[in-house]
Amino acid sequence: MTDNRRPHPATALDDVVHQRVRLGILTVLSEAHECRFATLRDELGLTDGNLNRHLQILERAGLLQVIKGYEGRRPCTWLRLTRQGRTALRAEVAALEQLVARIRAAGDDAG
Amino acid sequence: MDRDAATQAERTLAELDTLRQRAARRAHGGVWLPATGVATLLLASTALYATPFGDRYSIVAEHPFWAGLPDQQRSPVASYLFWFLGIPLLFSVVAFWYRWRAGRLGVRVPWRAVAAAGLGVLALLAVLAAVPTGPVPDGLTAGTGPNWEGLLTPLLPVAATVVALGWVERSRGLLASGVWILALAVWLCTSWPMGTVPGWMLGNDAGGQLAWRPGHYLVLMALPLLVTAAVTGVTARRAARD
Repeated sequence: MTDNRRPHPATALDDVVHQRVRLGILTVLSEAHECRFATLRDELGLTDGNLNRHLQILERAGLLQVIKGYEGRRPCTWLRLTRQGRTALRAEVAALEQLVARIRAAGDDAG
Repeated sequence: MDRDAATQAERTLAELDTLRQRAARRAHGGVWLPATGVATLLLASTALYATPFGDRYSIVAEHPFWAGLPDQQRSPVASYLFWFLGIPLLFSVVAFWYRWRAGRLGVRVPWRAVAAAGLGVLALLAVLAAVPTGPVPDGLTAGTGPNWEGLLTPLLPVAATVVALGWVERSRGLLASGVWILALAVWLCTSWPMGTVPGWMLGNDAGGQLAWRPGHYLVLMALPLLVTAAVTGVTARRAARD
């Protein structure tokens, strides 16, 4: 039996985080202290422009920090997850897991 | 419809898990080197003792225990120099290693936090015990219970380094190794003679003593570090090959 008085887990999904590429960005950054822009781009198989667009959205939401610097004479961008970003990722994964559990439980009840 | 949503959500979770595991291997695959470095330092410190593996009933020691464990040292000054030069040297190698990996793989590990923990405790030790030799303090005798003066040992910065390394590298193996080194150091350095087992553990009043020498205890301390280093090293190598 599912508890219909509780809010549906889908309402806990955050539009900013839920997008597939952005979930991937947050997941990779959650494992590293800091990650280079080019490394993240290659890991997710994106173009510079595409990754940039998603990074801007996440940075505006305060979920990640963009650190610009130099390595020798070469400009280099490093990315770091903020505490808020880590919390948002955890909440998103938890909401997805609850969603799956709820739908499966409802299916078992019906079957 | 709902079933499709559940399948989609499950697929997303599985993809995220694969991505997370790959990112973790890339970010933390270099931990084998500092773990091996610390283990090497511990094993090399057996050379500081007059009889690291023999002479089971020796109870001579000079306080503070600059060699690490309360046993006869070859030279307190050599022991002092070994740790006060060896630990910063180890951090230099670790710093170089993490910088090199960051340049090659594009992920950074906060190794400065590890260096701050290790060097911070080492500096504290230097402040607390400025004189590198002296007699065993009164009260640090068999049956008197823990004596906290015995904790003036370079094994504490080593334990702090391993715990901090386990924390930043998210390695349960290293965290456990750090706690293991700390527990052994506290037990061995606060009881006299070294290896004293309290009576309540043996079920008698007098207690007892393990007939082990400093070399044996140092091998015991280094063992979990070497196992962790071997496991992470092999995993990283396999991941690089795939």
